[in-house]
Amino acid sequence: MKTTKLKTVLILMVVMGIGFSFTTINKVTVKGSDTMVILSQKWAEVYMKKNPGTSIQVTGGGSGVGLAALINGSTDIANSSRPIKASEVEKLKARYGTLGVEIPCAKDGLSVYLNKANPVTTLTLKQIGQIFAGKITNWSQVGGPDATIKLYGRESSSGTFGFFKDNVVRTDFSPTCQTLPGTAAIVNAVKKDKYSIGYGGAAYAEGVKDCAVKKDDKSPAILPTAATIKNHTYPIARYLYMYLKSKPTGEAKAFIDWILSPAGQAIIEEVGYYPLK
Amino acid sequence: MKKVIVAILVSVCGVVSAQEVENDSIKSISLDSLQQAINEHQLKFDALNEQLSPMQEQVDRMSKLKISGYMQVQFEMYNYQDIPVVTPASGTTPAKTSYYQLKPGTSETNVPLATNSVDVNNSFNIRRARIKFTYQPLEGVIFVLQPNFSFSAVTLKDAYVQLNDPWINSFQLWIGQFNRPDYEVEFSSRDRIIMERSRMSGILYPQERDLGAKISMNLATQYEIPLKIDIAAFNGNFGEGPIANQVTDVDSEKDFVIRTTYSLQFPKQGLGIDFGANGYFGKNTVFAAGTYSDVNSNPFTAAVGDKLKKQWFGAEMQVFSDLLGGLALKSEFNKGVISGTAGSAIVNNNPSFNFSGEREFTGYYVTLEKNFGTKFQAGARYDSWDPNNKLKGNEVTVAQDLKVHTWGFAFHYFFTTNTKIGLGYTMPINETSTTVGGIYNDDVKNNTTTLRFQASF
Repeated sequence: MKTTKLKTVLILMVVMGIGFSFTTINKVTVKGSDTMVILSQKWAEVYMKKNPGTSIQVTGGGSGVGLAALINGSTDIANSSRPIKASEVEKLKARYGTLGVEIPCAKDGLSVYLNKANPVTTLTLKQIGQIFAGKITNWSQVGGPDATIKLYGRESSSGTFGFFKDNVVRTDFSPTCQTLPGTAAIVNAVKKDKYSIGYGGAAYAEGVKDCAVKKDDKSPAILPTAATIKNHTYPIARYLYMYLKSKPTGEAKAFIDWILSPAGQAIIEEVGYYPLK
Repeated sequence: MKKVIVAILVSVCGVVSAQEVENDSIKSISLDSLQQAINEHQLKFDALNEQLSPMQEQVDRMSKLKISGYMQVQFEMYNYQDIPVVTPASGTTPAKTSYYQLKPGTSETNVPLATNSVDVNNSFNIRRARIKFTYQPLEGVIFVLQPNFSFSAVTLKDAYVQLNDPWINSFQLWIGQFNRPDYEVEFSSRDRIIMERSRMSGILYPQERDLGAKISMNLATQYEIPLKIDIAAFNGNFGEGPIANQVTDVDSEKDFVIRTTYSLQFPKQGLGIDFGANGYFGKNTVFAAGTYSDVNSNPFTAAVGDKLKKQWFGAEMQVFSDLLGGLALKSEFNKGVISGTAGSAIVNNNPSFNFSGEREFTGYYVTLEKNFGTKFQAGARYDSWDPNNKLKGNEVTVAQDLKVHTWGFAFHYFFTTNTKIGLGYTMPINETSTTVGGIYNDDVKNNTTTLRFQASF
């Protein structure tokens, strides 16, 4: 009797499993990185024009917010300007039984912005880290004038914040670092303040100057240009990612395939980032 | 005609002068008022900035505190045993057989048979009501506090400090009350598909947690080597005996746990395999002198202060596959010696073992979990607990030595990202023994159907 019940339950579960596995998505939602939001909106706009009838909804909020939405099931694609964290992969495993799918879709360089009137032009990665950690507080400590350094940065939900913290600062940001909503706001603040420093996408550096960055004391100073970011000689270069909980299917797959095609990649430079190849 | 010409001239003059005036006024008003508006707004922004600065500090401080929690309310239906109870003949009253019911939740082979004189075959109950506070005052320091709210009391589930090493970012020190290192124990009920943990975990790790310290090494963060090693020392008596005795150690002996896991990832195949091994090294102090049973079921006399063996080794594996939207296969195996003293009044009584003596045991489970999109999940688990490897079938003389296999099935539907409903069925099948007799001549009727509602935040 029990064996029959068991068999019935198992057969039911297998049938339901296969049935539910083939459910398709009609609308694609994309959420996450503010750095990527303009690029992603441009992709969606062009793709929807080419494919009438498709609906792609793009919103920002930050990489962390996008990945949290992916984990809780409220978005199909999470945009992230940093690699997914091990703790986030563990949450995907727990919720969906998958490791998630990582799709690098563009390249970007993080520029360190300086005011044009600031005589400092070059810093090592270590010096930049110490400046944002609050260990170096005066420009005279890095060969500049005797003036206090004013720090501008992003909110903690931002992937740019996370990437800069993990790869440059490597500890807590100084409490004196003023957080601003978006890279444009940081550029604007640095533009107005002679002794300030900020960071953000290389493409946003209008009205400020890029700091040439040295990997260490002995390395050459590299400016963030299209060439140095593409060939990764600029030390603060990164990939921009899309994450899914499992292999893309249906409309999401078609959209991602198009983004990775020459047509989709051609749009990247229009927005100020760099294609994969 | 004159009137017409005068009228035209007047109106033209009016238009011209009106235009001039209008142009002049626009220019002067726009420049002056613009400057004034900018100044006014600048003052407003400065004032707002001044107001917001202290608030920003407060927000920054508050953002270091994270609050999460979940509640599980369930309706259970029990399939239980009619237990014949014979009232002997007395005077003119003849002997009488009446039937009692197994008390819900106590129909186990390893606890004394309790009965309900009234038929109870369903009940609502609150399984979990927890809030977790996580405070991170600075990088690498985390305080966690998690109370559990029940009908008549608030109990402390987690209370620990986690310190991360700031030098190579690979070591963590945990101190306080937290989960013992084990996959199933550390996997939260809020995410688990099968309704309850396996019988093995419930017996080996009562109440999941213990008081102690743990050093955790994770080489993935800094060196991209997916190796994790946990070494912990615990009091060893949490979840045992009266609750007042669990706040400190009941003896000076500490239990030591080591667990190591390694993760393999094959992104192209959408496949992840985590595997590992663990060891538990502890002792149980005897607090009630008397006759105990050794691993060969031979009686021996134990005195207060004697030490009983509590040691096991295990292995684990979890396979995650991106097959049809997500599939996971999870398994753990443990083999060793468990010990204890029967009686709920004993300070280190493990209520799920509840036996005076030492036993060589084997336990394992295999769970298959399937995810369907973002709305549905299903799972099936087979778990086995053999509390006495040396006896089988009719050789078994006490109910606590009977082997139990348990089938568990569950299906979940997510209403929203934070609320779900789950339907589960648990079917324990015990080994039978005519030597033990009574209800153990057959499989005890103790299946449970559970309908669970969960809300989390």
